[in-house]
Amino acid sequence: MDWLFWAPVLCAGLVAGASTGMLGTYIVGMRIPFLGICIAHAALAGAVFGALAGLTGTTLLLPALAAAALSAVLVGVIDPQTVRADINVVLGILFSFTMGLAFLGLGLFSVYGVSDNEVRSLLWGSLAFCRWHDVWLMTGTAAVELLFVVAFYKEMRAILFSRTHAAAAGVHVTLVWTLFLLLASLVLTVNFQTVGGLMIYSLLANPAVAAARLVRGYGRMLIVAAGLGGVSGAGGFLISAWTDLPTGAMIVILSSCLVGLALAWERWRGKRTS
Amino acid sequence: MTALAIEIRGLQVRRERRTILSVDQLQVPGGAVLVILGPNGAGKSTLLHCLTGAVRPPPGSVRILGQDVGRLSTMALTELRRRVAHLAQVLAAGSEMPLLVREVVAIGRTGRAGLARPLTRYDWSLVDSWIERLGLQRVAGQSYSALSGGEQRKALLAMAMVQEPEILLLDEPTANLDVYWREQIVATLETLHRTQQLTILLVCHDLEAIPTTTRHVLVLRDGRVVAHGPCREVLTQDCIENLYGRGLSVLQHGSRYVLVPQPQEGPA
Repeated sequence: MDWLFWAPVLCAGLVAGASTGMLGTYIVGMRIPFLGICIAHAALAGAVFGALAGLTGTTLLLPALAAAALSAVLVGVIDPQTVRADINVVLGILFSFTMGLAFLGLGLFSVYGVSDNEVRSLLWGSLAFCRWHDVWLMTGTAAVELLFVVAFYKEMRAILFSRTHAAAAGVHVTLVWTLFLLLASLVLTVNFQTVGGLMIYSLLANPAVAAARLVRGYGRMLIVAAGLGGVSGAGGFLISAWTDLPTGAMIVILSSCLVGLALAWERWRGKRTS
Repeated sequence: MTALAIEIRGLQVRRERRTILSVDQLQVPGGAVLVILGPNGAGKSTLLHCLTGAVRPPPGSVRILGQDVGRLSTMALTELRRRVAHLAQVLAAGSEMPLLVREVVAIGRTGRAGLARPLTRYDWSLVDSWIERLGLQRVAGQSYSALSGGEQRKALLAMAMVQEPEILLLDEPTANLDVYWREQIVATLETLHRTQQLTILLVCHDLEAIPTTTRHVLVLRDGRVVAHGPCREVLTQDCIENLYGRGLSVLQHGSRYVLVPQPQEGPA
């Protein structure tokens, strides 16, 4: 294997896994896994219509980010108590709408006789084609995420426990929650072009679920989820390089195996202490 | 004269074209303890939610610490909530996040510490002192979701107390607690009232949970005030029968009250 050529791919897998793993801690903690795929599909819809308008390459990120941010703000504005529906029901409706828009856009490519290869690759990702400029973009986004986590560490801990209790304790819930949603749209949009709109879900959910089985406490879970995400991203690539199997599928399978191992560890530890 | 901590005038809350709470007038001086009684669905929790602004009251109807809750901006309401702690009736749903009990109690300091500022050594010392005061040291390093209902309620009470509030709104704080801890909580509330002149509004069903320092009782039924006055005038046999029907007797022992079932008449 030409390590010099594949180094950016390995780094991209590591950074994508770590940043989505950390983000997933909040999404899994708040039991809103739909948020991830809702925002990812909104980004996909934005990219599809951007491509229809003639944008290509990195510039596709702009409409993708705009659509993801719009869907994130919508989620923030809709109050589940006012609409009398669970947040996951609201996200489910928004997700189906954004997916419908994305597939409408994909259908329009054949109507206008334009190639949709570049956009279709967004569905499955193109980690193997990552170059250093992609890695720098992903690392910059991860740095913004880390800044947010450090700055709003205690506010997000309160929101994670219960938005009602956080509001009662005088936390600026609406402000911090909206900032978090915008951050989620940024992280997911930047990463989904490499990991893929469909596979990013596994990197959001699996590392966080595994971390919750392995450690107690907010800070530890954030670190372990980021670590397991990085292991899934980089490890999935390495397995695919050695076995010549699809990279995305290997990342998903490895992260799922880590959840299985964490569950087994939790069970074994429970038996030992009982 | 003591300044008013809470003032309500002409408060009406409607839901699905039905008035669920109507309070013409209520004044609670600073440093007073007010107990709110009433059967299920009487509007007790809704009243507390109006005081915190979780249910927005009409402008001019609710004033807390001199501020009109209905006219406050979101920012101003958040600032006010830092001075008013609320222990809700419903326990927080167990999150997937394995938050430690100490971390959960520290949530009470989050607003007070300021936006994007870490908790100080003083904040953590306050957290630890309330953990100790409520007997949670043994479980402080455990996951909150692994606690029993009573321990969770104590953790939430500690969360409310570390906020160092000027007004404490408690919705059934002794629910799920055993007799020992019910008495400890009642004694703690009495001490807080005596030493810190804390204004306390306490919603409860259990008359035994009423602190001896309570001066007034407010009784709600179907969203309306049916009685309001000193304990000895309100907690009468007639009032209890009006609320819960026949079959219960209210007994007074010193400054404490208790409800007991009346003995059944007829052949054994």
